[in-house]
Amino acid sequence: MSPEKLEKDPSNRLLARGPRYRLDAEQIRDLALSSAGLLSPKVGGPSVKPYQPEGIWEAVAMPQSNTRTYREDCGEGLYRRSIYTMWKRTAAPPAMEIFNAPTRETFCVRRDLTNTPLQALVLLNDPQFVEASRVLASHAIQEEQAFDARLDFVTLRLTGRKMDPAEREIVRKSLEIALADFRAKAADAQKLISTGATPPRKDIDVPELAAWTLLASQILNLDETITR
Amino acid sequence: MNPSEFHNTAYSRRHFFRKSGTGLGMAALASLLGQRGISAAESMAGIHSVLPQIAPKAKRAIYISLIGAPSQIDLFDYKPELQKRFKEDLNDYLKAQGQRLTGMTSGQPTFPLAPSIFKFNQHGQSGAWISELLPWTAKMADDICIIKSMHTDAINHEPANQLICTGSMQAGKASIGSWLSYGLGSMNEELPSFVVLHATHTSPFANVQAISSRLWGSGYLPGKYAGVALRSLGDPVLFLDDTPGISREARRNMLDGMNELNRRSFSAIGDPEIENRMQQYEMAFRMQASVPELTDLSGESEKVYQLYGADSKTRGTFANSAIMARRLVERGVRFVQIFHRGWDQHGDLPRDLASQCKDVDQGCYGLIQDLKQRGMLEDTLVIWGGEFGRTVYSQGKLTETDYGRDHHPRCFSIWMAGAGIKGGQVYGETDEMSYNIVKDPVHIRDLHATLLHTMGLEHERLSFKFQGLDQRLTGVDPARVVKELFA
Repeated sequence: MSPEKLEKDPSNRLLARGPRYRLDAEQIRDLALSSAGLLSPKVGGPSVKPYQPEGIWEAVAMPQSNTRTYREDCGEGLYRRSIYTMWKRTAAPPAMEIFNAPTRETFCVRRDLTNTPLQALVLLNDPQFVEASRVLASHAIQEEQAFDARLDFVTLRLTGRKMDPAEREIVRKSLEIALADFRAKAADAQKLISTGATPPRKDIDVPELAAWTLLASQILNLDETITR
Repeated sequence: MNPSEFHNTAYSRRHFFRKSGTGLGMAALASLLGQRGISAAESMAGIHSVLPQIAPKAKRAIYISLIGAPSQIDLFDYKPELQKRFKEDLNDYLKAQGQRLTGMTSGQPTFPLAPSIFKFNQHGQSGAWISELLPWTAKMADDICIIKSMHTDAINHEPANQLICTGSMQAGKASIGSWLSYGLGSMNEELPSFVVLHATHTSPFANVQAISSRLWGSGYLPGKYAGVALRSLGDPVLFLDDTPGISREARRNMLDGMNELNRRSFSAIGDPEIENRMQQYEMAFRMQASVPELTDLSGESEKVYQLYGADSKTRGTFANSAIMARRLVERGVRFVQIFHRGWDQHGDLPRDLASQCKDVDQGCYGLIQDLKQRGMLEDTLVIWGGEFGRTVYSQGKLTETDYGRDHHPRCFSIWMAGAGIKGGQVYGETDEMSYNIVKDPVHIRDLHATLLHTMGLEHERLSFKFQGLDQRLTGVDPARVVKELFA
């Protein structure tokens, strides 16, 4: 909220301001996929099965359940919009459930909106988000040469704006440390960029891609990114 | 002046006192903080400690929530005279009560009185009557205080569960655990101060109610006070391990940059959820180290497993969750709530209630004994109970061997133990039908006031400004601390 806007419309008659809400589970996943250019635009069709940790449904399903064993899709099924994700009643896709998606056992007229450490772990480590960060990073590296231009590439897609100089300095510092780290530990860099079903581009320096993956993940995890 | 700057300088008198109070409390936490190398300033920001308002009897509490509502008549509220009145039609009696029944039985042509099919015996020095369904609970009759005169305002599960978990039938209020975290702060920095465990039930026939994070949410309190649920099956915390290739140092570096960026947003916008999120990321980082140690039960002795029962070795069972609850409170978690579902015996009560009781009975015994042996029972409050009671009349067909019971809000039984609660005590009485309370009623508000009192908080002073009101766990109706429960 700028002072000018406050001056012009102190009581918000023009509705230029509004409450801040964290995005819903589906929106967060779709945002990550679309920022990386991974999101499939396909409309309709049977539901799909994106990444899910092993053993989730075995743990809760009836022995005779035909959805007891989860078999991940390959290819496009991993990247469809989240509304097409297969839904098992009482056992919502776990990453979405952690972000307050309902289990669909009962009506839900308003979702809870919690803010928990479990959500942090999803955005940090769910392969869906790690892969999206890496693919976004490789696009940025390919499209742009300079640090600032690459960073703009990432932040425009995730937060819809360019960072100010002070913010850039913070990110640059993180990136330099990460880059030095991955240069020293090439095996780690290789492991990180191999997360997810999309193969990493071979024409990009591995430690550099790993460091930018971590940077993209850093931006993806910002409060600003997942809040509207 | 930039309005965001105004926000930053807008420290009120209340802020000042709160900060100073926290500062004093922090001195006491110095040793705790010393255990970890992370920036003390950051940790301190995450621990909000208001000094207790009255001398606390308990430092921590474990609440065992039996979702669905266990039948008081078949477990604790012994009514032997009813045996003679088997199948007596209570139609006229119920009409005279002037109380609404649920839609599940209000249309029944008759309301046949169903005495309990189960045998009761007196136990312990106190001679408390306890049903044969709870043999292990009976063994510890002198450790627990049975309250037979609980009552509630709600007659259906969701509002009743919200009432007992958050003090209000309407959604969106703060849960007990989040009030405790808000009022007392955290005693540890490795784990959340309010942890929720979901224990599995065994019977495939159990009538199971859905529950949701509303019951352990923070409502209008800041999100960081919400309960954190550990998964009972599979990985207790999903995505706990960092992605292969990300070392602990790399993660730390990434989070440091992220924190700086988030902090800038916070000072520009002032939304407390940003600060919460920063703290939750730090908590996540610490949980990556603390949870594997917490959930590794390999160090528990065979004796412990024997105490809690054979199924305590199986992940997710009630007995296993009870061991986990003890491990959590041992590590400084303030409030643990174990949810066990499937207690809604509208039909086939003799079969299903027996199975439900078997699920939890020895685990409860093990927990109390274990806490006692470790010297922790004296400052740990344990509460066991459902959301309402069940009817004296049978829902559906009544036979010599089978019956069901509908929801009954006017009386139900719970037990409490530890934290100065006088064991071997039976508090409150119901009438000959286990229908109305005749002595010492305890409303849920009174239970909440008592719980807060035990933890050193005054229910009328623990409040939070929201929507122009001083919101309280006990609401605006009078509530009383049931002091008679204490030794």
